[in-house]
Amino acid sequence: MSRPVFGVCLAVLMWLFASSARAHHSFGAEFDANKPITLTGVVTKVEWTNPHSHFSLDVKDEKGRSATWVLTGYTVNALYRTGWKKDVTMKVGDTVTIFGWRARDGSNSAHAREVTFADGKKLFYGPPSGTGEGGPTPAVKVP
Amino acid sequence: MRRLLLVPALATTTWCLACGSPPSTANDQSKPAAANAVPRTADGTPDLTGVWQGGNGRRGTWEEANSGLGVGGTGLDPSAPANPSSQQVITDAAPYKPEHAARVLDSFNKRGIDDPAGLCLPLGVPRLALVGLFPIQIVQTPTQVVILHEYMSIFRVIPLNAEHRTDVGPTYMGDSVGHWEGDTLVVDVVGFNDKGWLTGTGTVHSDALHVTERYTRVDKDQIDYVITMDDPNVFTEPWTVKTTLMLREGTRLQEYVCAENNVEMEHYAKILKDGVAYKR
Repeated sequence: MSRPVFGVCLAVLMWLFASSARAHHSFGAEFDANKPITLTGVVTKVEWTNPHSHFSLDVKDEKGRSATWVLTGYTVNALYRTGWKKDVTMKVGDTVTIFGWRARDGSNSAHAREVTFADGKKLFYGPPSGTGEGGPTPAVKVP
Repeated sequence: MRRLLLVPALATTTWCLACGSPPSTANDQSKPAAANAVPRTADGTPDLTGVWQGGNGRRGTWEEANSGLGVGGTGLDPSAPANPSSQQVITDAAPYKPEHAARVLDSFNKRGIDDPAGLCLPLGVPRLALVGLFPIQIVQTPTQVVILHEYMSIFRVIPLNAEHRTDVGPTYMGDSVGHWEGDTLVVDVVGFNDKGWLTGTGTVHSDALHVTERYTRVDKDQIDYVITMDDPNVFTEPWTVKTTLMLREGTRLQEYVCAENNVEMEHYAKILKDGVAYKR
């Protein structure tokens, strides 16, 4: 490998900024990566907003009781570039399945990573778990 | 120097093996330009104009480079795993003085709940350029370089061969002036406040921060971006990091209004008020 190529490769390997490359706020502080959840329900509200998008899901349990869940995901800028279209990809009344992680406060709220639509198509809706919490290691040596 | 290894390593290795030829020079202009040659202005200066992405070393369009999991998991591949752990591993630490290292560690242990980005504030330099979810656009003229950041809709106007202005107070983005050293654009930034983070979670600085950025377009697709952060109030020595900006042809910047629906701050306040366990 020539020196310029090696230098460029070295630059890439000196990659940085576990949290800065990600999203607006700390998903890790609000949602628990150790509490994954899968929900299927009917979309009742879509908030196509920044800094984060949200939608509400009417989920029925095995006894037919309904509960409203609120799902949080990417900025809409990222959703556009991930293949989503406002008022087209997901609409009120659609039945979808989400995979994500529950809120730490125990409310009916979750960070949605992936949405599966009725036709089986899947799209990412939010970043990986723990996004924004600083990665696995701090930027300083731990005494 | 803080070093992170991108995982999966295979992708990085593959990219490295595909690295292009050494950059051409102004003397090459008499020859047909190679497909990956550095674009140059009429006077032979490297032209940095274009839309770029930090935080992602892959070549290609936005769609190509962010396939699979993508940066922050924004990929288009539905077969990609839904629950990856962190994709980056820190292998070195920033040279903080002990009292400021404790501040960094405190924010880390709080999982970044105190991130100024959560308040929709400007991220500062260099952090703003490294938010891989959002592109940046560089517009170069003979007398100034303008950097447009989609994230937070922030702009930087960098006059060339100019003195720092003296009529502004401390700011989030600082005051930038630039000059060319050979094929490298060198940008000197001072005049910061002490409210931002330099890179990742908790990387505090003071208003004595002095940032030197070096932009070298090494071929058509890549700018080597080397940043030295000097802040004697918080560091024991200057901190230098190296990364890249990658060309994303065809990508256009969008509006981004962070204050539109920033309900997450209410959620944080409720977590703190209710005593919800969230720390590491």
